[in-house]
Amino acid sequence: MENINENSRPSGIELLRTLCGIFGPCGNEERVRDKIADILKDSGIASEKDRIGNLFVKIPGGGEGYDPENPVKIMISAHMDEVGFMVRDIDADGYIRFICVGGIDPCVLCGKRVVFMGAEGEVKGVIASKAIHHKTAEERTTAVKIENMYVDIGAEDYEDASRWLAVGDYGRFDSEFVRFGINDAFIKAPAIDDRLGCAVIIETLKRLASEGKKLPFDLIAGFTVREEIGKSGAGMAARRFLPDYSVVLESTAVADLPDVKPNSRVAAAGGGGVISLLDRSTIYDADLVSAALELGEKKGIPVQIKKYLSGGNDAGSIHKSAYGTACLAISAPSRYIHSAANVICAEDYFSIRELVYAILTEHSFKK
Amino acid sequence: MENTELKKLITELSGLMSISGFTSVDGDRLKSLLGDIFDECESTPAGNYRFVKRCGRENARKILIDTHFDEIGMMVTGIRDGGFLNVINIGGLDTAILQAGEVTVYGKDENGVRHDIYGVVASTPPHLRKPGDAMKLRDISEILIDTGYPVNELGKFVSVGTPVGFRPVYSELKNGFIAGKAFDDKACAACAAAAIAETAREDLIGDVILQLSNFEEAGGGMTGALTGAFAEEPDCALVADVNLGRTPDTKKSETVVVGGGTAVTLSPITDRRLSSALIAEARDAGIKVQVCVAAGSTGTNTNVINLAGKGIPTVDVGLPLKSMHTSTEVISMNDAESLKNVIKLFISSGKIAAEI
Amino acid sequence: MYSLIKQIVCCPGTSGSEGATAELLSDIMKDRSDEIYRDRLGNLICRKKGRSENARRVLLCAHMDEIGFIATYIENSGLIRIAPIGGINFTASSYSEVIFENGVAGVLVPDSGVAAGSFAADVFGVDIGASSAAEASRRVKIGDRCAMRQTVRRLGGGRICGRPLDDRVGCAILAEIAEKLAGTETEDDIYYVFSVQEEVGLRGAGPAAFGIRPDVALVYDVTGTGDTAGAKPMEVKLGGGAAIKLRDSSVICNPGLADELAKIGKEKGIKTQFEILRAGGTDTAAIQASASGCIAGAISIPCRFIHSGVETVDLADVKACVDLTVAYLTK
Repeated sequence: MENINENSRPSGIELLRTLCGIFGPCGNEERVRDKIADILKDSGIASEKDRIGNLFVKIPGGGEGYDPENPVKIMISAHMDEVGFMVRDIDADGYIRFICVGGIDPCVLCGKRVVFMGAEGEVKGVIASKAIHHKTAEERTTAVKIENMYVDIGAEDYEDASRWLAVGDYGRFDSEFVRFGINDAFIKAPAIDDRLGCAVIIETLKRLASEGKKLPFDLIAGFTVREEIGKSGAGMAARRFLPDYSVVLESTAVADLPDVKPNSRVAAAGGGGVISLLDRSTIYDADLVSAALELGEKKGIPVQIKKYLSGGNDAGSIHKSAYGTACLAISAPSRYIHSAANVICAEDYFSIRELVYAILTEHSFKK
Repeated sequence: MENTELKKLITELSGLMSISGFTSVDGDRLKSLLGDIFDECESTPAGNYRFVKRCGRENARKILIDTHFDEIGMMVTGIRDGGFLNVINIGGLDTAILQAGEVTVYGKDENGVRHDIYGVVASTPPHLRKPGDAMKLRDISEILIDTGYPVNELGKFVSVGTPVGFRPVYSELKNGFIAGKAFDDKACAACAAAAIAETAREDLIGDVILQLSNFEEAGGGMTGALTGAFAEEPDCALVADVNLGRTPDTKKSETVVVGGGTAVTLSPITDRRLSSALIAEARDAGIKVQVCVAAGSTGTNTNVINLAGKGIPTVDVGLPLKSMHTSTEVISMNDAESLKNVIKLFISSGKIAAEI
Repeated sequence: MYSLIKQIVCCPGTSGSEGATAELLSDIMKDRSDEIYRDRLGNLICRKKGRSENARRVLLCAHMDEIGFIATYIENSGLIRIAPIGGINFTASSYSEVIFENGVAGVLVPDSGVAAGSFAADVFGVDIGASSAAEASRRVKIGDRCAMRQTVRRLGGGRICGRPLDDRVGCAILAEIAEKLAGTETEDDIYYVFSVQEEVGLRGAGPAAFGIRPDVALVYDVTGTGDTAGAKPMEVKLGGGAAIKLRDSSVICNPGLADELAKIGKEKGIKTQFEILRAGGTDTAAIQASASGCIAGAISIPCRFIHSGVETVDLADVKACVDLTVAYLTK
């Protein structure tokens, strides 16, 4: 990668560490939003929020090729929310029954640490279910249903638990940011989906600001809410700003594992940003897709095509909003997505960062 | 409004014919029932009715109260010899409750004048069913409606597409419980209308729009609420719909108690500050509320209203109801009274206004 | 009419790649409308101006896209793995000829030993005659699209068969309506919308309607029939006339509009039938739900064997759809 600034790597990783550590389940993104607004403010970048909780930065275009009468509008967005939990009920013995907010495979829940946010602050707990000693032969070979799991916060009974938590309180995985593997090439953390996208946007905005670069279009950066339940804030943002083009930064599940057939692996960790041709919710703009692939090749930035049709993201609501918008999605190839242990290859974060910058500064967007 | 008046409004509204897509059939009757409470009334292209009560101040907030006007029902798919009709369901209809039930076929004569026909859902005698089929439930396409008309006479009033609904009959049970059809969601509409009627114009915290929306039960995508909310662009919305009530065969965590007060659903798609303020205000006022949670979907118009346009902060409240989607839905008048009072708070409380 | 249909059917255009079809239709429509443009998603919109400035806006819509496949992976053997675009019935598509947009021909086949009951995208591949991945990737790239061969032929009794009649027949109907109205002044502002991405979930028509804000919308698409051997009960028959949609699984149409169309049909002696489709959706739903909503309906073309290579329609039904619409717009 010719443009990469080696010195910016440690600070990039630190930003990602900070963002992944913030409590922000789907529907309760305010801590993430406030932190992002603070980080931007420190760099002299003003942001504003809407009444649903999305955060926006508007960067007016200028210079050569900019048409102030009828400017091209481009939105780049990432979602702030993460998969999480909500207290559904507290039983007589003080155990917390919960629902999942966003798609979480029940198989990744048992025995995990979680943290809920009560009126008085954080409440730590563990997801428990029947011990193996009590299980029948059949139960030993089947996954536990969420309705048969409970969170143990150490409460004595209902009264005690109710001092800390109430129905409707949010929770998330309680999991650290860990670097591992050879040369610390990999990162494990909760909520890499999609704090990584948020981090890339923040770094891009800071870089554009520090270089004093004027882009030939109006840029709207959106940090959006509620992607994980599919009732996304990104569509509202698109209806508010009516962008001509939209770039969605996401994470995509990959299955680059030995026992998965090559044609089902989706993408590879370490292979660079994943460009989707189409998924369950969107057919991406063919011109933007080719531009991203060509820029990657030209500048030596790793980039890969999503090889398996699956999933969906905010582009689903963005591209159909209002008059329609041409969309591109760039996803971080992420193993074990929607669990306590998302794993990415750190190098992919830098590849995506460079690709986004290249697209914004070198691709010619037509009205 | 006294309890008996609210009860009367509930049964009158519920008795109207407003099967999804056919909300205009009794539109005039709806207007005459509610018109006096409001300053304006109109219907929309999607078949919603929109009633407005102004607060009298300029540049006032816009508060949208949504209850769906449409109800489940059936539609004729074929006319058979002997005056029988084939039907398809409109909305979620359990064929287990259909056989030997009473229905109204909403026919029209050649001049388009309404011509209701009484019908009974036919059932095959048990001794004629094949062995092993005794407990087998029939698909809706095998259901027949017996009209008692000769087929040529029936053809004058009924065609493919004619709507069919439950016959409106209401019973009073003990302890202020009532039973009948289409309390889902017209009982909530009645509570909302009563709340607005009982709130003086100057006490309203903004202009209040009561949207009686179409296409919640069927027709895909909650199109009525979505298009209505898009056109309205309110500052906030309250959606009132029925909640599944607790019965011996349901789980405690998935239901609310009928008679236990107004249900308020907390969800990522509902506005937490508004919801919490409303719960606190209601409890202060001695109104019974029950709190429940939903992840991605509340199963109500909240799903689309909160997303409409640039996004609308939305509160989801509910009237507990048993035997949903039958001709014998059961609600408690005490809950109806609570819901009415909760909606009154929502449109008149200064603490709510401060959160908008 | 048959030659127009043939011309439009034989143009490739899977969902999201409707450019060639849009160009063809744009050419056909240029003398039949006052203004032509494509919007951001690629919907082709042709406007015929109404008599007055504030005329009622009527949107007529048919979708340009067809179902097909996209190449996702190339095996060492040269076999091309695919993902479906739209609702593919793999039983109806197996062992058939497919053509890529660049003209490369191949055959769509299941892996050996897979029973028909287990047919799904990940056990299918396209054999283009290549004997290695390198050879295959010289001719087909990941992301290239293909579809079963576009073709149409006459059967007896005024019926035609081929693919994709869904919904190029609807496009032909719009073009024919435009032809008939071209010389006359109409009361309404008429927008002929040739929509994109219908087959992947009604994605194009909503944004088109958002831009147009119609008062009334009519959608022209194929519908199933109840007159084939073993068919589920359905009143619609091939040759039974224009099918006025009352509902499908995505929408309940405006009953007033449906009644009005039936009445016009009766007065003018145009054969019509009412349609209730149990499973399946149309652009009608997306248009009805767009912006502040509109009065929405659909005039469907009865069609047998939808999404197969032998979709079959009756030209008399096609003509009835055209005549009914022209009568409605000139009444």
